[in-house]
Amino acid sequence: MTVQTINRAGTLLLVVFTLTAPWVLPLFVDSFWVDIYSEILIWSLLAASVNLLFGYVGLLSFGQALYFGMGMYGVAIGIAKLGFGFWGGFGFGVVLATAMAAVAGVLAVRLTWHYFAIITVVFSLIFYFLALSWKPLTGGDDGLPFGMPPLISIGDFELTLTDPDVQYFFIVLMVGACYALMGRIISSPLGRAFVTVRENDLRASLIGLNVYMIRLSAFIVSGFIAGVAGALFALFGRYASANFMFYHVSGEAVVWAIIGGVGTLFGPIVGTSLLIVLREELSHVWAHYPILVGIVVILTVIFAPKGIGGIWTSLVHRFAGANAGKGGDQ
Amino acid sequence: MTVPLLEIDDVTKQFGGLRAVDNTNFTLETGKLHAIIGPNGAGKTTLFNLITGTLPTTSGRIRFLGDDITDEPVHKISQRGLARTLQIKSVFGGLTVRENLWIAARSRYGVFAPFMSWRRCRKSNERADAVCEELGLMPHADQLAANLSYGDVALLEIGLALATQPKLLLLDEPICGMGPAETEKTVAKIQDLSKRIDIVIIEHDIEVVFNIADEITVMANGGVLAKGTPDEIANDPDVRTAYLGDDDDA
Repeated sequence: MTVQTINRAGTLLLVVFTLTAPWVLPLFVDSFWVDIYSEILIWSLLAASVNLLFGYVGLLSFGQALYFGMGMYGVAIGIAKLGFGFWGGFGFGVVLATAMAAVAGVLAVRLTWHYFAIITVVFSLIFYFLALSWKPLTGGDDGLPFGMPPLISIGDFELTLTDPDVQYFFIVLMVGACYALMGRIISSPLGRAFVTVRENDLRASLIGLNVYMIRLSAFIVSGFIAGVAGALFALFGRYASANFMFYHVSGEAVVWAIIGGVGTLFGPIVGTSLLIVLREELSHVWAHYPILVGIVVILTVIFAPKGIGGIWTSLVHRFAGANAGKGGDQ
Repeated sequence: MTVPLLEIDDVTKQFGGLRAVDNTNFTLETGKLHAIIGPNGAGKTTLFNLITGTLPTTSGRIRFLGDDITDEPVHKISQRGLARTLQIKSVFGGLTVRENLWIAARSRYGVFAPFMSWRRCRKSNERADAVCEELGLMPHADQLAANLSYGDVALLEIGLALATQPKLLLLDEPICGMGPAETEKTVAKIQDLSKRIDIVIIEHDIEVVFNIADEITVMANGGVLAKGTPDEIANDPDVRTAYLGDDDDA
C-alpha cells in the first residue's frame, strides 16, 4: 500500500461518512449530532482559512473572524434589509467578506509574524465594535435575524433550508466546493509559490517571485473561505451577530487549525471536529473545560508541532514504508 | 561599442554614520568572469545588496544592460535576468531539491495560475530536471533541501539561480566553508558556467580568484581601490600594501 492509496482511502471514508451522516449518525447517537456535524463542517472552513495562511504562506492571522462576520452580516443584511433572495444574500455575504479581505490584506501583508498577527486583530476589533454600535443596520447586541427565503422555487416545487436534509446537503456541497477549491490552488503553481514564500521569503523574491502579491492572494482566498463559512453559519442559524466577529472566535480557529495540523488540507476538519465534540461533551459536565483544551494545545505545540495531521502523515509513511521498504537504502 | 553589463555610477550606501559603499564607480563588460575582492567590511556584499535591490541605495545609479535598475523591487530585478546567491546559503529547506528548482524555473512563466496542476508544467519540469542534471544533484532530487550536505546546498543555491535563466549571476563567497574536494568541484562548475553566463564573484580565497577571474576589482573602505587583470592587480603596489600584504608568498 502506498501513501497515496492510504490517503485516498481516508478521504473516501470522510466523504462517505459525510454523505451518509443524516442516516448513519442517528443510528448510534442522538440525531442532534447531525446538526453538530453541520456546524463542525462550517467551522472547519474558518480553521481552514487560518491554515491556508499559516500552514501554506506562513502568516498567522488572529483576525479571520472578521471575514466570517462579514459573510454572516452580508447574508443577514442582504436578506433582511436589502430584500435579496437566497442566492443574492449568500453571494453578497461572500463578496463582502472577500472585498474586506482585499482591503485589509493590502495593508496587512506588508507585515509578517507578530506585526501581522496584531494588525489582523486590530482590523477585526475595529469592525467588531462598529457592528456592535451600528444598531439600525446590524441589530447591535441582539444580532440580526432574518426569514429564510427559498433555495429554489419553480412553480409548486420549492426547496428551503427549513428542511433539515436540504440544509445539511447544502452545507456539505458548499463546504466540499471550498475544500476542492483549496486543494486545487494548493497543487497549482500559485500553491507552490505559497509554500516557497513560507519557507524563505528573501530567496523567493531573489528568484523573481512577487512575495507581496503572493501573500495578498493567499490572504484574499483565505478571506473568501472564511466568508463562505460565515455566510453558511448565518443561514444555519438564521441570524448574524457581532459575537462571531470577536477575536476569541479567531483564536479558536487558530487552535483548531494547530491541533488539526497546519499545512495539511484536511487537518482543520480533524482539529475542529475533535474540539467541538470535546466542547459538546464536556461543557455541561465541567465549566472549566477550556483548561483542558489549553493543555492539549500546549502538548500539541511541544510534542507534535504538525498536529494530528502531522502524526497521521508520519504514521502513514511508516506503515507504507514498512510494506514497501524492502531493499530501501534507509 | 556594446552596452556595458553593469554600471555602478556614484553609488553610496550610508548606514547611520557609516558609509558602507562610498561614491563607488565602476563598469563591468560582458563576456568576462569578474571577481570582487577586498578585506572584510570593504562593502562588497553591501554592493551586491544594492545591485539586487535587497537594500535601498542612498544615492547614485545602477544600470544593468543599459537599463536603470536602481531601487527596483527585488523580484523585478530578478525577472530582468540578474540572479544571485547569498553568503549565508539560502534555499527552500522544506522542499525537495526538484521542487526547489521547479519553482525557480516556474518564476519565469508566472505563478499566478491557481487552477492548473503544478506537476503538469512541462517547461518548468524540464528546466528543473536539466539544472538538476547539470549540477549533479540528480541522486538527491527527491531529498529535502534541509537534509543536503553543505556543499550540495551551495550547489542547489547556484541551481536556483540558473533555473531562472539569468544573464548575470552574482556569487557571494560560493566556496566559503567548503572542504578541498567540494571547492574544486564548485570552482570547476563556476568556470564552466562562465562560458555562457556573465558572472561576478565575491571571494576571499585569493588563490581561486587569481586562477579563474578575467578581471578583478579590489574594494576597500567602500570604494574601488584598483581594477584590472589578475596580473595587473598582483603587481599593483597600492593593492599589495592595502590588501595582499607585503610578503611575496602570493
